[in-house]
Amino acid sequence: MIAFDRVTVTYPGASAPALENVNLVIEEGHLALVIGTTGSGKSTLLRCVNGLVPHFSGGRLNGTVTVDGRSTEQYRPRDLADAVGFVGQDPDATFVADTVEDELAYAMENLGMDSATMRRRVEDVLDTLNLHALRQRAITTLSGGQRQRVAIGAAFTAAPRALVLDEPTSSLDPVSAEEVLASLARLVHDQGTTILVAEHRLERIVQFADIVVELGTAPGDVRSGTPAAIFATAELAPPVVRLARAAGWSPVPLSVRDARRHAPELRHRLGASARPAAPAARGDRVARVKGLTAAYGPIPALANVTLDFHEGEVMAVMGRNGAGKSTLLHHLVGLRRAQRGSVEILGRTPAALGASEAIRLVGLVPQDPGALLCAETVAAECRDGDRDGGLAEGTTRAVLESIVGGISDDTHPKDLSEGQRLALALAIVLAPEPPLLLLDEPTRGLDYGAKERLSHLLRRLAARGRCVVVATHDVELVAEVADRVVVLADGEVITDGLARSVVCHSAGLASQVARILAPAEWLTVEEVATALAERPRESRASS
Amino acid sequence: MLRTRLQPLHPIAWWCWAGALAVAGSRTTNPLLLGLLFAVVAWVVTTRRGRSPWARSFGALVRLGLFVIVIRVVVQVLFGNRVPGATWFTLPSLPLPSWAAGVTIGGPVTAQETIGAFCQGLQIAVILACFGAANSLASSFRLLRCVPAGLYEVAVAVTVAISFTPQVVLSIARVRDARRLRGRATRGLKGWRGLAVPVLDGALERSVALAASMDARGFGRRSTSPRRRQVTAAATLGGLVGLGIGLFEVLDSGSASGIGLAVVLVGGALVIGGLVASSHGSRTRYRPDRWLGAEWLVVAAGLAAVAGVVAAGSNDPNALVQPLYPLALPAGPVLALAGILAATVPSAVAPRPAPLRAELHEAVA
Amino acid sequence: MTASHGQPPVGLDRFGSLAIAIASVLGAVAFLWPLFIPAHGALNQAHAGDAPWVIAALLPLLLVAVLGEFSSGGMDAKGVAMLGVLGACGAALRLPSGGAAGFEPVFFLLFPAGYVFGRHFGFLLGALTLFASALVTGGVGPWLPFQMMAAAWMGYGAGCLPHLRGRRELVVLAAYAAFACLAYGLLLDLWFWPFGAGTASTLSFEPGASVAHNLVRFLLFHSATSLGFDLPRAALNAGLILVAGRPVLAALRRASHRAAFGAPVEIVPHALETPTSS
Repeated sequence: MIAFDRVTVTYPGASAPALENVNLVIEEGHLALVIGTTGSGKSTLLRCVNGLVPHFSGGRLNGTVTVDGRSTEQYRPRDLADAVGFVGQDPDATFVADTVEDELAYAMENLGMDSATMRRRVEDVLDTLNLHALRQRAITTLSGGQRQRVAIGAAFTAAPRALVLDEPTSSLDPVSAEEVLASLARLVHDQGTTILVAEHRLERIVQFADIVVELGTAPGDVRSGTPAAIFATAELAPPVVRLARAAGWSPVPLSVRDARRHAPELRHRLGASARPAAPAARGDRVARVKGLTAAYGPIPALANVTLDFHEGEVMAVMGRNGAGKSTLLHHLVGLRRAQRGSVEILGRTPAALGASEAIRLVGLVPQDPGALLCAETVAAECRDGDRDGGLAEGTTRAVLESIVGGISDDTHPKDLSEGQRLALALAIVLAPEPPLLLLDEPTRGLDYGAKERLSHLLRRLAARGRCVVVATHDVELVAEVADRVVVLADGEVITDGLARSVVCHSAGLASQVARILAPAEWLTVEEVATALAERPRESRASS
Repeated sequence: MLRTRLQPLHPIAWWCWAGALAVAGSRTTNPLLLGLLFAVVAWVVTTRRGRSPWARSFGALVRLGLFVIVIRVVVQVLFGNRVPGATWFTLPSLPLPSWAAGVTIGGPVTAQETIGAFCQGLQIAVILACFGAANSLASSFRLLRCVPAGLYEVAVAVTVAISFTPQVVLSIARVRDARRLRGRATRGLKGWRGLAVPVLDGALERSVALAASMDARGFGRRSTSPRRRQVTAAATLGGLVGLGIGLFEVLDSGSASGIGLAVVLVGGALVIGGLVASSHGSRTRYRPDRWLGAEWLVVAAGLAAVAGVVAAGSNDPNALVQPLYPLALPAGPVLALAGILAATVPSAVAPRPAPLRAELHEAVA
Repeated sequence: MTASHGQPPVGLDRFGSLAIAIASVLGAVAFLWPLFIPAHGALNQAHAGDAPWVIAALLPLLLVAVLGEFSSGGMDAKGVAMLGVLGACGAALRLPSGGAAGFEPVFFLLFPAGYVFGRHFGFLLGALTLFASALVTGGVGPWLPFQMMAAAWMGYGAGCLPHLRGRRELVVLAAYAAFACLAYGLLLDLWFWPFGAGTASTLSFEPGASVAHNLVRFLLFHSATSLGFDLPRAALNAGLILVAGRPVLAALRRASHRAAFGAPVEIVPHALETPTSS
């Protein structure tokens, strides 16, 4: 169905090829998962399938890419629109109509289908993706998950035999991500579509994959095979696979359900091993939010929220989209003034301070860290950071080096990878050394390596006495990093307690390891691996 | 064919109705007729206006019309051609140098000239109100979907522009927040510099992603044979030349009748024909707006107003003007009044605007 | 950072260029007619002749013809998307001011964009920005085709400026911006003149009088009504370009580079006999 024959891709003006000598065959009706670190060429690989590389982006393509019998040499992207549907990384940027129905019909209009067929296909897609209640809604009023499904539907109405998606669940909360993945699974199982997906967060999608394509950092390093074969040795692997490798299970299970079959044996092995204990006393209080109430016009955002933030802790704020996480952070950093209630950091109200004073008290890394970066080069960004904070020259650059090395001074901030951009934003925010650090959804678009570096950094900061607050719905990050967890729903605080108890005792917020080893309270693979290493190897159940 | 529950009135029908009322307004300066015209327009707008973002433009254009009336009257009072009449008051005259081409400031201000200026200003204000009504009642998006095939790409560009504008506004707010997060001021000219570039960068990045998505969905598939291209180009150029000739003819003869009008119409037809015919082949439309009975009625109501005014004018031209010499109450020609009142039909016939659905904005976290 | 950007995103064939030329000549007549209309051209005193109404109906047709030429001349997805997005930025710039007191920074993006992307792109962007902003603010009226034409000319002119280096680039662009904003105000006021002054005041146009005579009257009318708006607008736009022009130009050039308008595409399939290199 999709075949790559010795494909090498070089972008115009680039010194090295982005992909080298890729050989790949994806059969009809399979779901292929593409994994790799940022910058390894996943997007390039996906864009080769429907001809965007090289026809849209320019450059040289050696070799042949064939889709449904058609080669991208003769067929441009617009000619392949009925064979391949493409959903890019940022669905918000791809809408050309105002209502959902018109957006879905756009591809078919371009292909010149007659109106009876168009009506029928639109109804089919509305049903498959569960969008029929939204058909006349304006797209700007939909939530993130709904918009993602509309983007998928818009690529799918022309009835293509193949569908290519670039990180479809990166900006979604777990519930919306589940909906999107369920729709994709339905497309594969019921309609026999061939699907090619690139993803960073592998936890949920791995179980659906028939083929896994792994791209290494070198352009020629491409491996493909069944999930079991690839994940036996792959560096990037979801927690369930890493747990399996640590416990020595074979064949490697890909879903929580498969893993639970081995769980009793592992629980027995771990027995009463000690888990890392929570510190006895909390540090000094750094910030307090009392009775905070906020609303956007008639829509309530926060209702009577009271929380304490102590130094040396990493606090995770979790909740659905719209529960009020970002609003809480905006009030803490002083972007919004409290309508009712108070916000106080070390005795001062952040909203009343001037901008340059406030950054010495509290720093926020927003959802899109690129919004903070507006200079031409990394060096200029660091100099601006020093100047804004009134710091000695070179401070910000030093902080950046301590977070991640290897970023050259002349790079334009927009050319950095997601992880590097986050690192630069963190450096800018951390340079004035505020006692309270806030992060809003930091793991969007990060691969596992970058997430691990981020976790280590946050734990280091907490160990040195800062208070870190992370608003996220990435349960794996929370399991790795958080000491305490606050759960918000509809603007109210539902739970506020130790991370271990909240995460392990909640259905929706549990990490994969917690779900596999329930009811024993284990959070991360590292904990299990450490405990296993400490225990003397006694009788091991045969694999 | 019955109208479905959700289908609003075709936007071109609204524009035809409003355009016809504007034409009717341009034919008369009788304040009674103009006032009635305004009342009719305001009534239809209040009963059939929806809750879309542009529904409030009627009020904005009415305010603009009032502003025009004020300017007209003030210019007339200060600079008017002094003609004999009933003097209201006298302004001190300011002498102007001889090169000032006969302009006078001040002097006796007569009632006739003031009322005359007011009526002319009122005429323009009513025409503006008609346009405001069309803006409020017709959906821009649906209007853009009706353009002929020759303007398709431009219509897509405009659709992208108006659906992208709210995102740019949100982006500006986000960048302003980000500036505060970096400890910088957000006001003044320096604030502009820091605001403009990130917003622009973000918008330009998204444009590339948008272009890729459009390409991947088959945009630009139509192909034009050279022969068809030559034919449509010839039609367009010929139409333009025709329009030019017609224009000079109208300017020369002073009225839009006879040869001038004919040539203009032919030129216009050629241009539009060229657009419609250009490479129509491969694109289809999903659920195009249908033209049903209600649309015909609405257009007919507008035409009735024009017909009434024109008929009243041909019967008695003085009835369409505010009598100035001597100063008297304006006439109320029955035909014109009836025609204008007939233009309220859309408030009964046009479908009601769709009820407001609960819309949660993405601004909430 | 190189200044070259390959092909321009929007192009026209020779029919299209001819259409723009004819339409511009007719458009000039449509603006300037009060200055030279002959005496017998305004018989019907009550409406200053039918000329204003005919012209108001005619100019949209002219614009439609030119835009149609652009459409069929081949705008690909990248050109359309770039136009749409820059038009949206321009429309968003118009929202807060709403035309109040002439502080309209809406042209601030038009000049650098026309300068970087070429004259035809500038022409289209001017017309589309005004159209989109009118749709967004609900200001579609008989003045819109005139605004579109005038803004299109301004964008075209920005694309005709010579490309210099360094500080001189900004100075030339800012000077052009000031001139173009004043010219825009002048043209729009020319359109408004018959409506604002009518035919019965000493500031009105006189059919049959000499061009110089009418011109003086118009300039007096202009300074009385619209110059108070035009001068701040010109100053604001020129000032913005001097202050923020450099990064904006850089961003536009980067985007032009990134979008790869007309970038070379090369596909080299392997011959069947070539052995696979591992």
